[in-house]
Formats: sequence, structure tokens, C-alpha cells
Amino acid sequence: MIRTLNFAFIAITGFVCLGLYRIAEEARVAQVDLRETRASIVQEQDALAVLGAEWARVTQPARIQALSQKHLDLSDLPVMELSSLMQLPQKALPLAPETGFATVKAIAPALKPSQPKAPAVEPDGPTFAVINTGT
Amino acid sequence: MSMDARSAPNTVVKSRIGLAAGLCAAAFSIIVARLFEVMVFGAGVAATAGAAPVQPMRADFVDRNGVLIARDLPVSDLYATPAAFWDTDEAARELAKATGADVERLKQVFAAKQGYALVRRGLSPDMRDGVMRLGLPGLTFEKAYRRYYPAGRILSHAVGQVDPDDNGVSGLELGLDQLVRGRSAPLELSFDVRVQHVLEHEMRETMRAFSAKAAGGLVLDVRTGEVLALASLPNYEPNSRSLATGDSIRNRLTQDVYELGSIFKIFAFAQAVDEKTVRFDEWINIAKPLRFGRHTINDFTNHGSSLSVPMVFAESSNIGTAQIALRAGPTRQQAFLRRLGLLDGMKTELPEMASPLSPRRWNEVETVTVSYGQGISVNPLAFAAAAAAVVNGGTLIRPTFVKQTTPQKGERVISEATSRSMRELMRLVVTDGTGSKADVPGYEVGGKTGTADKPVNGSYARSSLISSFVGVFPMSQPQYLVFVMIDEPKGTKASFGFATGGWTAAPAVGRVVSRIAPLLGVRRNDTLAAANP
Repeated sequence: MIRTLNFAFIAITGFVCLGLYRIAEEARVAQVDLRETRASIVQEQDALAVLGAEWARVTQPARIQALSQKHLDLSDLPVMELSSLMQLPQKALPLAPETGFATVKAIAPALKPSQPKAPAVEPDGPTFAVINTGT
Repeated sequence: MSMDARSAPNTVVKSRIGLAAGLCAAAFSIIVARLFEVMVFGAGVAATAGAAPVQPMRADFVDRNGVLIARDLPVSDLYATPAAFWDTDEAARELAKATGADVERLKQVFAAKQGYALVRRGLSPDMRDGVMRLGLPGLTFEKAYRRYYPAGRILSHAVGQVDPDDNGVSGLELGLDQLVRGRSAPLELSFDVRVQHVLEHEMRETMRAFSAKAAGGLVLDVRTGEVLALASLPNYEPNSRSLATGDSIRNRLTQDVYELGSIFKIFAFAQAVDEKTVRFDEWINIAKPLRFGRHTINDFTNHGSSLSVPMVFAESSNIGTAQIALRAGPTRQQAFLRRLGLLDGMKTELPEMASPLSPRRWNEVETVTVSYGQGISVNPLAFAAAAAAVVNGGTLIRPTFVKQTTPQKGERVISEATSRSMRELMRLVVTDGTGSKADVPGYEVGGKTGTADKPVNGSYARSSLISSFVGVFPMSQPQYLVFVMIDEPKGTKASFGFATGGWTAAPAVGRVVSRIAPLLGVRRNDTLAAANP
């Protein structure tokens, strides 16, 4: 009985040793992998940092302006040529179909909310009189 | 064999088996406990094993739109063990050639053949490859970070510099050192790189056109106090860490104080309007120069015998402004300027802020000269902050270089009504006065011109001018202030020989406004544009 138990214990100890060795080896390999992955993350982060800085350098406005002046036949855009969608005239309303006024009435309420609003215009210039001194 | 003789070895065997079993049980208990710890409390020590990678010391600086301004980039520091070299002189020559280090210094430090010597800091990947190709023994690369400024010269003064150990030594690198150190997220500054470029480009063109010595300019949000651009020319290349001919590390906007001339009339008029010592329908006699002892106050050009109060401002009459300032008197004028922050040092995130110089004795003659911006010297940023308070509804702002999301709620210095009147007066300067060249159709630019004689050897040199213009737009609801100052411009044929603020700085401000207004989303008032194309 004792002999059987001894063999059993020795066998268990052997299996445990093998298991522990395997776990220890896997942990060591995982640790190496982890270190390599971390190093590679840092390397990628460094590369991204360098690329980000390079991108900022090549897209700086002074460089873009110099390149456009050298290679493109562009001129400064006068502010009067700039506009926004809000400042464009409203598209003309559809003509009343020939089916009669009933159709126009039917679409009229739907058109109401999109009636163009007059843009708010601030009064300009001084409220006092400007006196020409003639000098 | 007796029973006792047989049982004695059995007892020994049993006790040995018991001991072995106890040891096995203890070993298994330790393993079980460790497994339990790893499974329940995490990997612990094992996960943190290995040296932590070197990280950047400082966070990125980005502009208000996320464009990169400054970043720590990975580089290598190269160290050598001179004892490992066969020929120290040859090694010094080759390393100097590959890295750009000083060959004489290397020869000197290698000659001792002992210790650990720094060859060069901040090697680029190309330099590192060059060193590797030399095949020299005893070399060690240590990973480090070096601050890099992708925008180059623009923003060099404001952003500043770090030392080789990545500690801030000037500009915002020093002023925001504690905030940026050890931080991972980028720090958003108030600058807009596009606006900075436009401002600097127009200033450079103006300097070239008028053969000026230097120039300075800024763009300020009058509600939040954010500085969108701040340029001082000449500037320098921050990445080379050495100054080329003509470069300057001096930030004229904050480190220097100037007698700014007539743009200071804004404050004389703001005080007069706020204290109701003038009426706009009043006429001021400007027929004769004013005399105070040995001082004579003249106008730059002849404006006739009298001017209305608005036109005194619009035509920038010294004689008229002096009379208006005298109604407040020295004590009240001093108190008003102090309220605007023009007599005490101003604090911002920029550490290089010069304190103002004001008259020691402040009598009538000083009241007069201060009213048109002579006899008092302030740094242009402090002036811009005070001018912003005049137009933004009357509350003081503190300029800031960090992005803000809400308007500042500063101390009230003038009433809303006064601020409105001052905006009308400043608009008048552009529509009917000396600042007409700053006008941009549809953007309601208002402002004030300034032309100051520079003090040279105790007296004023009429040929050395500081010409400036402060512009604000849109005047009906001010958002941005643009200030440009030209140091010693020379008149040209195109300017009919004039080098005043109205001929030099005002057109530059107009061009800046026309370029940045669409970028900043300021809507053009088409009714005004059509009326005044």
C-alpha cells in the first residue's frame, strides 16, 4: 500500500515538475514576447511621432504658399469673391402646375418655413455727423 | 528477532515518510498560494518585469486647431569609452565627421583614455547609421528625446526654447513648463498657425517695402483674451539652436517697451467720453501749437483752425487731444491708465514681460504728452489688452496663450456706452481719417494710427519712427484686434515719402484682416461692402 502511494506521489511530483517547467517556460516566452511587443509599440509610437512632426513641417502654411506661388498660377482671392451658402439667392419657387390653383395652395404651406429670411444688417458708421474740415 | 527490534526501523521510516510528505505539502501550498495570487490579484511583479521604456518628458504643443507646434522626438545620445579606442585622435576625427561634433573637444576628452565621454547629443537616425558604419568599439547609444518645432521660425519667440535636458528656458516652454512636463495629452495653445503665418508674411512684406529695421504684430480675441498670433521680426530658427546673421531672439511684443504714439489717443478719448468731459458736437480750436514751458505741441499736418471732437480723433490731432486730456488732468489720467493695466507690469503665461516706464513727475505737460503716446512706454501686448478692453464692451481682459472656451469676465473699466462710442470713433478713423488704408469692404475695420518719434540720446529723432496701427473688426460686434508695429520704416515713392502708421502699418493690417477674416469665420456684411466697395 505504502509502495503504491510512494509511486503515486513520485508520479504526481514528476507531473507537477513537468507542468511547472512548462508554465515557467511559457511565462518566460510570454515575457520575452511582451518585452518585444512593448519595444515595438514604442518604436511605432516614435515613428508616428516623427511622421506627425514631418507632416506638420511639410504642411506649414508658409511652405504651401511658397509652393503654390512657384507651381500654380493662382492669385490672391479678393474677399468680395468669397461667399457662403446662406448668402446665395434662394432657388426660384416651382411654377404652378397647369392642374389649377388647388395644387399651389396645397404646396404653399410647405413652402412657408423655407421662406428666405432677410439677413440681419448692422448699421455701419458713426451715429454722429462727420464734418468735413476741408483740410 | 524481537518485536521491538522490528518496530524501531518502521518508526524511523514512517517519520521520514511523514517528513517528506510534510515538505511536499508545504511546497504545494506555496505553489497553490502563488497560483492563487497570480490568478486573483493579477500578474503583479511579472508583468512589470523589464526596464520601462524611455518616454518623452514634455507633452506636445498644438495650436487651437490641433496643428503640431512642438514635440519631443526620439533621438540618440552618443557616448564613448575612450579606453576602447586604438587611436583616440583618429576616432575623434571620424566621430566628429559623422556626428558634426567639435573635433578638438573630442580629441581632448579622448586623450585621457578613461571614463565615459559624451560625443554628441540628439543624433538623428542618419547620423546614427553613419556612426554604426565606422565600426568603432566602445560606443554606446542612449535613447533620448529632443524638442522639435515643425513650424520653424514662425512662433519661435512665443513658444521659446528648451535646454539640452528638455527643461523650458524661454517663452511658453518656460512659462508652461510645469503644465507640460509629464503630461501625456497635447496642450492646446491659443495660436492659429494659419493666422500666425498671414500676420508674419504681411509684416515681412511691409518691412521689405519700407526698408524697416524690425516689426512686431499680434492678433488678439477681444472677448476671450486669446492671442491667436504673435510675431516679432527678425526672428530665429528654433531647431538649429544657433542664430544666423540678422536673427534676433528678442520678442519685441513683450520684452520691449515703446512710446507708441498716437494709438494711445484711444485711451485719452475713452476717458473723456466715459467721464463725459467732451461732447461729439463740440469743436476744438487747433489753430496754434500748444506751449508748455520749453515744450511745443504740434500736429503732424495742418488741419485748419478747428476740428470737431470726432475728427480730432480721426485726423489724430495732437493739439486737440492734448486739450481734451487736460480736462481730466494728471491724477485722473494716471488713475484711468492704471485701471487699464498700463502702469503696472502685466502677467501672462509668457515669462518675458517688460514693465512699463511712466513719468516720475506727472504734471500738465506729462498729461499732454502721455495723451498722444509720448513720454510713456509700454509693451505692445499690454497696449493691445487695454485697447481690447475699450472696444469689447468695457471689460478688462488678460491676454492668454492657452486655448479658452469662454469669454473672460474681467473688471469693468469703461461703460458699454463709452465702448460703443469708441468703436464708432475708431471706425471713423478708417472711413474718414488717417487709417483709410486699413479698410476691407464688408468687414467694418476700425482702428487708430500711431507714429512715434524714437528717443535717441535723450531727445526724439524725427527720422526714426515707430509706426503702428491697431485695427479691430468687425466694429459693430468686435471679435479680433490686429496690431502691427513697424520699427524705423523709410518712406517710399509709393508712399510719397511718408513712413507714418497710416502709410505703413495700416495697409498691412488691412491685408491681414482680409486674409484672416474668412479663415476665422467672420461673416462679411454685404450691405456695407456694396456701399463702400
